[in-house]
Amino acid sequence: MNDDIIRGSVAVLGDFVSADVILPARYSFLPPEEMARHLLTDLSAEANASAREHPILLAGQAFGYGTGRESPARAMRAAGVKAVVGGPFARMFFRNAINNGVLVIDCEALVHAGLAQGDTIEIDIERCEVRAKGQAFPIAPIPDVVKRIVQAGSLIEYGRTLMQESSRGGGHATTHAR
Amino acid sequence: MRPLTLAEKILARASGQSTVMPDQIVEAKPDFCYSHDYAAFAIDAFEEMGATRVVGADRAVVCFDHGTPADNARDANNHRKVRDFVRKHKFAEFYEGGFGIAHQVMVEEGFVVPGALVAANDSHAPSGGSVGALAIGTGETEMGFLWATGNIWLKVPRTLRVELSGHLARGVYAKDIILQIIAKLGVLGGLYQVMEYHGEAAGRLSMSERFTLCNMAAELGAKGAVFPYDDVTAEYVSGRARFPFEPVLPDPGAAYSGVFDLDLSALEPMVALPGREDRGVPVSEVDGKKVDQIFIGSCTNARVDDLAVAAQILRGKKIHPDVRLMVVPASRAVAVESTRNGDLLALMEAGATVMPSGCAVCAGAHQGVLGDGEVCLSTSNRNMPGRMGNKNAEIMLCSPATAAASALAGVVTDARRVLKESTR
Repeated sequence: MNDDIIRGSVAVLGDFVSADVILPARYSFLPPEEMARHLLTDLSAEANASAREHPILLAGQAFGYGTGRESPARAMRAAGVKAVVGGPFARMFFRNAINNGVLVIDCEALVHAGLAQGDTIEIDIERCEVRAKGQAFPIAPIPDVVKRIVQAGSLIEYGRTLMQESSRGGGHATTHAR
Repeated sequence: MRPLTLAEKILARASGQSTVMPDQIVEAKPDFCYSHDYAAFAIDAFEEMGATRVVGADRAVVCFDHGTPADNARDANNHRKVRDFVRKHKFAEFYEGGFGIAHQVMVEEGFVVPGALVAANDSHAPSGGSVGALAIGTGETEMGFLWATGNIWLKVPRTLRVELSGHLARGVYAKDIILQIIAKLGVLGGLYQVMEYHGEAAGRLSMSERFTLCNMAAELGAKGAVFPYDDVTAEYVSGRARFPFEPVLPDPGAAYSGVFDLDLSALEPMVALPGREDRGVPVSEVDGKKVDQIFIGSCTNARVDDLAVAAQILRGKKIHPDVRLMVVPASRAVAVESTRNGDLLALMEAGATVMPSGCAVCAGAHQGVLGDGEVCLSTSNRNMPGRMGNKNAEIMLCSPATAAASALAGVVTDARRVLKESTR
């Protein structure tokens, strides 16, 4: 599979779904598979089922705003979410999702494109566009450091690679950000 | 060279560059970092990365605040794991639960110093901007990465200049300022930006008031908020700062993404209606709404001056019998001072339940979870559904004065009426 294209069906979610609603604080310490069962249940049981069925969340403005806890992102990863598109998204949600290998892409136009649950979209990282309903929606270029983290699988995997490189080279680990 | 905002200057220095541009991604080396109970996750990440040494442990602190004293064996075991880790890696300091809310403690204990780049795995990290630092929230895995490498990647934010003018009317407080700013700008109004506070009225705000404004930058979606170093900062950090520091001021002519002017003299006490932090309205619009629980606490509004206002209103009186009033001082140092000056006694005699310093009700995981259909009026920072552990309950945000006056009446009450009675 090409790392530069993420293709999948979407779960359509609304505006202003806070990170506390994505996964309430009381579930933060559960094992991942149990967190996945609670993902978005404070919104509705249907939202949970939909997010677990579809690998891409199409979410409205401020999805994931509020708490900087990382457990909502861990729960998304555990539920099989590969990417979240739409937005605009809050910065801590963005970072936490990326660090758990879930790509987050601001593309407001997509929110208003009339997509339904289960519609398939394609995120093309190289060409900086999302394709849906026969249309191409432009997205901002994804920073190299973000690409490297997501392609490694998570910040932990990425960090592990850096640690190994630095112990081999005897040098100092860095994020290689330019 | 291009004139820089305060945040740009700090990020340029911390990334070893002479200048930076908004939207540029930099690799920065924070001057200080701190964590809380969720350090347990950062430790997992650190160990899973195969790291063995904490880079800059002498500039790292952990302070328990989210779930202490422990509610259950799982939390207690996580606490044990964190204590063992910070001891093994010789962190600069470790604060046991009850010492205070990490954001408050780091400023109070002088770990956050002017001009520093600070990282903390919590969304209310921007609080550190009260002393002129650029303090930024990260995730827990990122904290583990920071311990492992000493670095984090950051996008250079644009800066929104906030100009404060005028004098606050009697009965109107810092919380009303920030609730008004959030109501005007929205919960994404500061997205990917840093709020930089200016104006003669900003210079008059106390350290505690500045803390309240910076703290709720999180509710604007902002990356940070900062009050440039001035006499108020100098007096506060003198004898307190643990690290050498160099105050940073923005360059004249720096480029801002916008300017937001606010005349404080026009402000009224504000209440953020349930569901979202940007639903602030003047208290008159919600006056008389019944409340079940009142929380005077959190990193936003539970310092000595906050408890003093509440005590002024409640001294010698009794809270309404249908209301539960919970008071949680932001730190033990606050609790000690407010005990010495009699304010906590006045609050307890009025019927308040005083709980150990920590996040308490605001974290929504224990202590003060709401029942279905209940309404909590809170001096904390968040009111989205489920924040206090129950999506079927409502939360409204306000100042300590509004909270105290409402505790007397059992319904949302404009504190200005009560203050008039209590002081001539």
